[in-house]
Amino acid sequence: MGALLDTYRRYDFQKDLEKALNRVDFFRVFHMLALGAGFDHFGVLQLGQEAEPALLSTRLVLHDLPSGLTEEYDRRYRFSDCLLLKSLHASTVPSVWSAASEDAAPSKAGTDFLAQIGFDLVACVPVHSIVGTRYVVLYFGDNDDIDRTSHVELCYNSITAFDYFYRFVLATRVGMGLTARETEILRWISHGKTASEIALIVSVSEHTINSHTATILKKLDVVNRTQMVAKAIREQIIQ
Amino acid sequence: MTILHILLIDDEPSEHVILRRLMTKVQSFTIQLHYSDTIEAAVDVIGSGTPIAMVLVDNRLPPHGDFRETVPLIRQKGFIGPVGVISGSLDDAYFQSFQEYGVDFRLDKAELDPTAIEFLLQEYLVKS
Repeated sequence: MGALLDTYRRYDFQKDLEKALNRVDFFRVFHMLALGAGFDHFGVLQLGQEAEPALLSTRLVLHDLPSGLTEEYDRRYRFSDCLLLKSLHASTVPSVWSAASEDAAPSKAGTDFLAQIGFDLVACVPVHSIVGTRYVVLYFGDNDDIDRTSHVELCYNSITAFDYFYRFVLATRVGMGLTARETEILRWISHGKTASEIALIVSVSEHTINSHTATILKKLDVVNRTQMVAKAIREQIIQ
Repeated sequence: MTILHILLIDDEPSEHVILRRLMTKVQSFTIQLHYSDTIEAAVDVIGSGTPIAMVLVDNRLPPHGDFRETVPLIRQKGFIGPVGVISGSLDDAYFQSFQEYGVDFRLDKAELDPTAIEFLLQEYLVKS
């Protein structure tokens, strides 16, 4: 009978992944991967369906691109028409795109995106969640290329980091139980308190309250606070 | 462009110099960095009516212990904006419970660069 090797993890940031709890923690992980491979920025893109209209700003579920860049891109270009996006729908092979290769071979698909977004190099690492939804981890930089060893390492690390990111941040699903803190916030919402009032009561930031509220909406599969409270009473989560 | 007021609480004045320098490299926001070297002075700044949008607090601020003692004091003052703990090391196990003490995020001091600052501002002050 076989056994899982103790050394099966071929990456060095296990501790960072095990400790990561929120979006900032995963920003730190992906930002570290980007810088380590010579890139400046990263983005985690939800691929979605090919036929659906796609905005870059809404498809990026986490990124550290300069503020306003993706919105400006969407004002000027149609991401759905981008050849790089089409190539990501057509294949799951990791790829590297260089603006320099556009001059040498202008027919090469994908380089349009680099000129539009303003970077010289983009590495794409297709990944998928445990339920099969497709994402791509993108790395943006102005370097000339990435060597083969670094690229392979970046792909492996990206797959690993995304798995944790998905399971711990993106995977909130209908039917999952509420945490004690979420139940407490739900109770205050049912008393008619606003997010800032609840933040004061439970001594956290308003951002945290809004984040918990969004999670509760998702878990209870409802669309607003009224429906949330009604369903919570019906399901006897609160009295 | 709206000015964002950020309060740094750190007993080491050189951290203020470094962060102020980093803030000048942030292109998408205009930032005014305020500085306090004790939690008591910071609480006074928050209570003074200065529209502090975000607080960055050093993990250890003598004579207090770590963030578990200091951040609740900021929250008790009624501050409901984002609070981030910055530290030279995030290895201690108690960091895993940062959310229970009213902390929104944690960051290693070595990770503070213009991209990280832009991300934090975008995440906590623009999107919310």
